[in-house]
Amino acid sequence: MKILIIEDEREIAQSIKDYFKTNGIQCETAENYNLALTKIDSYDYDCILLDLMLPDGDGFDILKELKAKNKTEGVIIISAKENLETRLEGFNLGADDYLTKPFHLAELLVRMQALIRRKNFKGSNSVVFNEIAVDIFSKTVAVNDIKLDLTKKELDLLLFLIGNENKVLSKSAIAEHLSGDMADMLDNHDFIYAHIKNLKKKLTQAGSGDYIKTVYGLGYKWENEQ
Amino acid sequence: MSNKKLLLKTTNSFLIYAVVILLIAAPVFYYTCQWLYIYETDEVLLFHKGAFVNESHSNYKAADIAAWNKYNHNVTIVPDMGVTKDSIVGEMIFEAIANEKEPFRILYAPVEINGKKYTYIEKRNLVEMEGMVISVAFMFLFIIIILLTGIIWISKKSAAQIWKPFYNTLSQIEEFEIDKNNSPEFIATDIDEFDRLNKSLERLIEKNTVIYKSQREFVENAAHELQTPLALFQTKIDTLQQLDLTREQSELVGSLNKDVSRLNRLNKNLLLLSKIDNESYLDRDTIVLNDYIDKHLDFFMEQAQSKSIKINTHFINIITTKGNTALTEVLLNNLFLNAIRHNIKNGVIDIIIENNSLKFVNTGQETPLGAQSIFNRFSKVNPSSQGNGLGLAIIKKICEINDWDIRYSFTENLHIFEVIF
Repeated sequence: MKILIIEDEREIAQSIKDYFKTNGIQCETAENYNLALTKIDSYDYDCILLDLMLPDGDGFDILKELKAKNKTEGVIIISAKENLETRLEGFNLGADDYLTKPFHLAELLVRMQALIRRKNFKGSNSVVFNEIAVDIFSKTVAVNDIKLDLTKKELDLLLFLIGNENKVLSKSAIAEHLSGDMADMLDNHDFIYAHIKNLKKKLTQAGSGDYIKTVYGLGYKWENEQ
Repeated sequence: MSNKKLLLKTTNSFLIYAVVILLIAAPVFYYTCQWLYIYETDEVLLFHKGAFVNESHSNYKAADIAAWNKYNHNVTIVPDMGVTKDSIVGEMIFEAIANEKEPFRILYAPVEINGKKYTYIEKRNLVEMEGMVISVAFMFLFIIIILLTGIIWISKKSAAQIWKPFYNTLSQIEEFEIDKNNSPEFIATDIDEFDRLNKSLERLIEKNTVIYKSQREFVENAAHELQTPLALFQTKIDTLQQLDLTREQSELVGSLNKDVSRLNRLNKNLLLLSKIDNESYLDRDTIVLNDYIDKHLDFFMEQAQSKSIKINTHFINIITTKGNTALTEVLLNNLFLNAIRHNIKNGVIDIIIENNSLKFVNTGQETPLGAQSIFNRFSKVNPSSQGNGLGLAIIKKICEINDWDIRYSFTENLHIFEVIF
């Protein structure tokens, strides 16, 4: 999988690159408008991460350019701009998702995976991890083909964990993912503990491996058993 | 001190002056008239006597004098009473026709008739004078009243006209609010003082508006500019926590994580406040509060779980209001989180909707919060709490721009936040 990160803050681009590398995602970076256009012209990407404020141009123009060239790459806007108008304009110009800075890398990763799944959708849209199979459309989970009764939050949590396989996830990243729009207001992230506990219990009871590890002082990690 | 209207004040002093002058002038006028009349009467008496002496009466015989006295009602000649020179006195004499005593002027003068000394007595009734003085006084009063009302009316009219630009300026200033875009436009005036007043007010407003705007922009820009370093901070911590860390290091990174998300929240809230200030949320829709609370109750119950807080709702009726959807949601979320954050373990939150009031009643610390300052930015009741001191300021701001009323009260150890829609 290959993606293009259009971001003038080199260090942010680098962090994304490092984080994604271990998940087998190849990242190219472009730190300005012109370079971005050249790269878009020369290669095809699975996904483009787009910062709206570039030193030599506007991110929206890149969206227009993509549209004009009939490019089908999925685009996630990552921007410090947080208002409805910018968001709507982004979506109108063909962006698929919008993430406001600052964000958790884990959040960006699962959003990108979801986007790519939607783009490459061929009849089924599912996430499989060993004996666990999640059907995104019907929102159902099965362990060894036996259906599991999960709440919406638990399903969301499961996808977040699987998507960030082998990554340490902080409580705040999980809490913010689970609470969506409300995330900006939450000052207590302890509520995720109950969700983790319930999910873990339901999975192991259904005969799945115990993949959720607690990382001392930090949070949780989804790890394949050795 | 009670305040009076400017126009009333000027006419008041006018009126007081007029009344004082009237009070002084009335008796002075009366006595002057009386004196003048008496003076004239006395002149006439002396003139009559002079005429009597000059005319042919000096050869009157005693019988003539008796006849004179018989036919003259007002003038009598009597034998000498010992009067040596003309003297006039005022006296009340009974008048048979009027059947009462009336004021008279009486002249006693020595005269010589046929070489014999007599006294000439002439009296003149002053009743005519009293009638005249009274009618003159009435006329005088009538003219004065017409004059006064005229003066007051005209002065009032012209004062109102003169002060019109002033009142216009006053009402515009009263309506002026620096955080709204409604700079006053004063009407042009040809009165120098008012023109100066308007110009200096304009300057003052312009200057303050510029300062206010730049300060508002500063907060928004600062919050915006912080987003990028915060993003850097966040992504680096995310990267850092993937490394093989010792327990000690993990704990440090974990707490760093908390700090950055706190910083992030603070920044988002500042941004929200300045956006509300900048009127970014002008769209208004119809909102059913009950529905919104019901919809998110699960989420907040989940949040309340770690403190084992019970949330009860008592909806007596349905509140439908007009407001910005996004902001109303922020308002309700903040009320919810506030009630959870400052609650105690095993506490209770009651959400009551009744008439047009929404109440969040919650257990918490056993002393009331300082009602005045709690809605100020960064006024934290409990310094150790995770809140950033902006939640209530945001609540207040949202209520303000929607013309809703927010109140805090503390009864029976319960903290009550009430919004009146």
